[in-house]
Amino acid sequence: MGAAVGTGDGKKSVNVELNLVPFIDLMSCLTAFLLATAVWSKFAQINIQPKGKSRDTSAVVDPDEKLILSVLIQSDKIYVGVSRIDQFQEIPKKGDSHDWEKFTTTIADHKKSSNFADRTDLEIAAESSATGVVKYDEVVRAMDIAVQAGFLDVGLSDPAGLAARPQL
Amino acid sequence: MPVHVPGPRLLSSIKFKHLVKGAGSAGGPRAANVSLNLTPFVDMMTILVTFLLMVFSSSGELLTAQKGLDLPLAVSQAELQMAPIIVIDKTDIKFINGPTPQQIASVDATLKDEGVKVEALFERLEAADRSIKEGVAAGKLPKDLKKACEDQRASKRPAAGGKVCPSGLAILQADKDTDAKLINKVVLTAKAAGFDNLLFAVKNK
Repeated sequence: MGAAVGTGDGKKSVNVELNLVPFIDLMSCLTAFLLATAVWSKFAQINIQPKGKSRDTSAVVDPDEKLILSVLIQSDKIYVGVSRIDQFQEIPKKGDSHDWEKFTTTIADHKKSSNFADRTDLEIAAESSATGVVKYDEVVRAMDIAVQAGFLDVGLSDPAGLAARPQL
Repeated sequence: MPVHVPGPRLLSSIKFKHLVKGAGSAGGPRAANVSLNLTPFVDMMTILVTFLLMVFSSSGELLTAQKGLDLPLAVSQAELQMAPIIVIDKTDIKFINGPTPQQIASVDATLKDEGVKVEALFERLEAADRSIKEGVAAGKLPKDLKKACEDQRASKRPAAGGKVCPSGLAILQADKDTDAKLINKVVLTAKAAGFDNLLFAVKNK
């Protein structure tokens, strides 16, 4: 690669030859390093607060103090309930998978309601049995929908520990 | 003086220029200096380096894709941070808090076990929690994590995408087909061992 500098007025042109070898060396090293350290699958996280008894917890919070939005995932349906009021919405399975569209609108409606407009907490539990297995993928999907709706403090609970639990 | 067989001799009867003329390196009318056009090569290298710099991420050091482990997909974009890792793949439960993963139990045996906690995992988590809390108490933390711990003590939630205090923080890396019953058990074990904050590792959609 060359560059012509100062041509004109009949004088001899000054051709400057750029030495590209160090540049190519540097580029090759950088490419090799970046290819070796490249991460092709990007990981993210969903932050949850486990419910239940902690080693460091001394006092037990009374669940009747405030309304709590509870979600119970079963193999064939999802319950969305509000504690104290004991209102439950049942979202049956649609085909092979849960009706995630209806679940999304249900959670969004609760978030818009006066009870939860300024709240970011919600609890989720999954009830898996030998006859109907609930997969981790379904739990994560429910959590993801809740986080997208604005419930940033998702708590994962034991089914028996839910504040609002439907009478089954 | 040696006696040679009569015949043609190089340089005297056969000129060198006749031998090398075909190669064209010297003696011929055209020089053999071939100038390689490096411009497309440099262009390609520049584009490749730019692309790789854009996709470069340090989060790959935290989690490595394990064989036979398919993470669930999620829209969440929050980045992972350094913490002890509980791995649940299709067959085993492992714990990573150092260079090598420690085998804890098999998935089938844990599911059959009627206990509330996974005892072997509880012991390891408790030990890890103790050492993390000692480190936090001694103030051996970077500036951003120190701030996160102060916020946590003041019951302030971390800002979106912000760091979480490492005290009581663990990562759960589980296969998407894992039974939720096992997840419940592991989460309860972590909670009992003092891990009040769990990061569920997911793949970005």
